[in-house]
Amino acid sequence: MIKFFEKAPYVPVEYAYDVEEILYKGKSKFQEIMVIRNPYYGKMLLLDNVVQITERDEFFYHEMLTHIAMHSHPDPKKAVVIGGGDGGVVREVLKHKTIEKVYFVEIDEEVINISRRFFPNVASGIDDPRVEIKIMDGAEFIRKRKASDIDAVIVDSTDIIGFARTLFTTDFFASIKNCLTDKGMFVTHTESLHFHKDMVIEIQEVLKKVFPIVDLYTANIVTYPGNWWAFAVASKNLSPREIRREVKIKTKYYSDEIHTQAFMPKGMYDKLMQRKLKW
Amino acid sequence: MIRTFKIDKSHAGIISESTLFKVLRYLDKEKIETPFLLIDTSIVREKISMIGQYIKNSKVFYAVKANPDVEILRFINELKLGFEIASEGELEMLSELKVKPERIISSNPVKSFKFLKIAASYGIKYFSYDSAEEVDKLARFIPGCNVYIRLSVPNEGSEWPLSKKFGVELDEALELLSYAKKKKLKPVGITFHVGSQCTNIYNWNIALDKAKLLWDKAKKKGIRLSLLNIGGGYPIRYTKNVIDIETIEKNINRLIYEKFPENVEIYIEPGRAVIGDAGIFVATVIGKAKRGDEDWLYIDVGVFNGLMESVGGIKYNYIVEKSKHTGNKKLWTITGPSCDSFDVIDSNVALPEPDINNLVLILSSGAYTVSYASEFNGFSIPETILI
Repeated sequence: MIKFFEKAPYVPVEYAYDVEEILYKGKSKFQEIMVIRNPYYGKMLLLDNVVQITERDEFFYHEMLTHIAMHSHPDPKKAVVIGGGDGGVVREVLKHKTIEKVYFVEIDEEVINISRRFFPNVASGIDDPRVEIKIMDGAEFIRKRKASDIDAVIVDSTDIIGFARTLFTTDFFASIKNCLTDKGMFVTHTESLHFHKDMVIEIQEVLKKVFPIVDLYTANIVTYPGNWWAFAVASKNLSPREIRREVKIKTKYYSDEIHTQAFMPKGMYDKLMQRKLKW
Repeated sequence: MIRTFKIDKSHAGIISESTLFKVLRYLDKEKIETPFLLIDTSIVREKISMIGQYIKNSKVFYAVKANPDVEILRFINELKLGFEIASEGELEMLSELKVKPERIISSNPVKSFKFLKIAASYGIKYFSYDSAEEVDKLARFIPGCNVYIRLSVPNEGSEWPLSKKFGVELDEALELLSYAKKKKLKPVGITFHVGSQCTNIYNWNIALDKAKLLWDKAKKKGIRLSLLNIGGGYPIRYTKNVIDIETIEKNINRLIYEKFPENVEIYIEPGRAVIGDAGIFVATVIGKAKRGDEDWLYIDVGVFNGLMESVGGIKYNYIVEKSKHTGNKKLWTITGPSCDSFDVIDSNVALPEPDINNLVLILSSGAYTVSYASEFNGFSIPETILI
C-alpha cells in the first residue's frame, strides 16, 4: 500500500498514512487539494499536503471549535464562520436552534465543492437556507462589516504562517470586535501546545491587545501533529468558561462537562503566558 | 499583499514559528523598502532572561557594538541590563537614554583620550586594560577608577577570534596589576574573551584556569581581586545547532565555584547572544546571472551594508519568496549590490530559485551587521525596525 507522509516545517514528527485510494487530486487558485482514503480514518481531506479532516475524527475538532463559544453566549442568532470550507463548523453552528443566520466566508470555493462531493456528512449544513456563502477573504468580509450584530465569529483556518495569517492580525481581531454584539464571542484555533507553544502565546498576546477577555482551551486532535490543540477564545464581556444555556444539542464529544474541563487551569495559564512552561 | 515563502525544516531550527509569523505579518504591509533589519523583541527579552541565569552573583552588560540601534538600546535599558561600551559615540547614546553610570563599563583595553574624558565626567568606574600606557592614561583622566586586566586566552573554536589584538600573558598581567595599584587605580579583577561565536565549551575551562593562576599570584602580591569579567562569546544558531546557554553557563558556574572565592562578582558581556538571532534581514533579489557554470544571485544587502561578517566566515540561513521556479534548488553564489568584487556574501548556497524582485530573508542577522555597515557606493545603511 502506498503511504502519504505529512510534512510541515514546524512539526518535529512526520505522520505516515496508508493510502487505499487517491480519490481526488487537484490544484485551486490557492492550494493543492487532495482526498485520500485510509483504512482507519476513512476519507481524508488534505490541503497543501496537510491533513485537515478525516471522516472518523472530524467531530472532535468541529465540535470543540464551535460549541464552547456558542454555549457561552446566552442567545446566539447570527454567526460568521471564516474558513472551514468543508462545512463542519457550519454544521455544528446550525445545531443551535437560536441561530437565524450564518455567514459562511471561505476564500477557496474549490474546498466547498470537494467537501460536498466527498464529505456529504460534513458539508450537510452548507445548503441550509440560514446559510449565506461568501467566497472571499474573511479578513475583508469582517473589515467591511459596519453593524455590530454578530453573536459569534468562528475561524477555521489552515496553518497560521501560511496565507491564513491575515486571520491572525491585530487589525483583523479589532474588526471582529467591532462587528460583535456586547455578548459576542470569537474563537480561533492556535495550533499545538506541544509543538507550537510560542504561537499559542503569541496569538493570546495579540488578542489581549484587542479584547478584554481572552482565554484558552484545548482538545486532543489525533490527526493534528502535536495533538494537544489549543483554541483561543475572546469576548468583550462574557467569560467563555461559563455555560449560559442548557446543552441540548446532539454531539459525540462535546458536553457541559467537557466545556468546563477543556479550559486550562488559571495557574497553568498564567505560567504559560509568563513563558514559564518549559517543554 | 500576502507573500509566500519556501519554508522547510532547516529554517525551523533557526527561526521560531512565532518570530517568522511576526516577520511575515510585517512584510504583508503595503509598502516596504528593502533592505532593512527586523528585530523580534520577544526573542531579545527571552535571551536576556536566560543569560546569567545559571551563573551565581552575575551581572550582564550588553555589548553595545553588536547592535547600537537606539530603539534596541532603549528596549534593553528597560529590561535593566547593564551596557559595555568602547567609545564616546556609544556613551552618547546611553546618555540620551539617561543610563546611570553604575550600569556602564568599558572593556575596550585601549581607549581614546576623548572617550576617557567623557567617561570620567559621566562617572563610569569600571575599565579594562592590558598595557602600562593604558594605566597611565586612566590614572590621568579617571584617577582611582576600578580596572580589570585583560588576559590572553585561546580562541580556538570561536568563529570570530579576538585574542591577538588584546590581552597579556600571566607574568605581564601580574606586573600590570601591580603597576595599576602603584598608580593608585583600583585593580579589582580579571577579564578575558574566549572569542565571539565560541562553540568550543573548553575555551572557558582554559580561560578560567588561567584566570585562577593570576588570581592566586595577585593574592600573594597583596592584591585582592573581587571581580571576574568573563566577556562574551556565547554562540547563536546561524545554520546549525550550537551548545546552549544553559550548558555553557552551568559549566562556567561549576568552574567558578571550584576555583574562586564564593563572593566573587561575575560580569558577562554578551552582544551576539542578546541580539543576533532576534534579527532578520529583509533583502530583495535585484539580479541573477550565469557566470561560467556558477549561478549568481544579486541582492540589495551585501558585505558593505550589513553582511561584513560573511567575509570572516559567518554563514547565514536564507528563506526565499516562492516563485514559479520554487520546485528545484540551485547552488548560488550570493552577492551584494555594490560594484566591488569583494562584495560576495557566500557561495554554494542551495536555495530554490527566486524571481527578480522577490524577497530574501536572512536569518540570525541581528548582531554585527548594521553596526558594521557603511554607505559604500551609495547604498544606504539598512534601517532597524523592532517588531
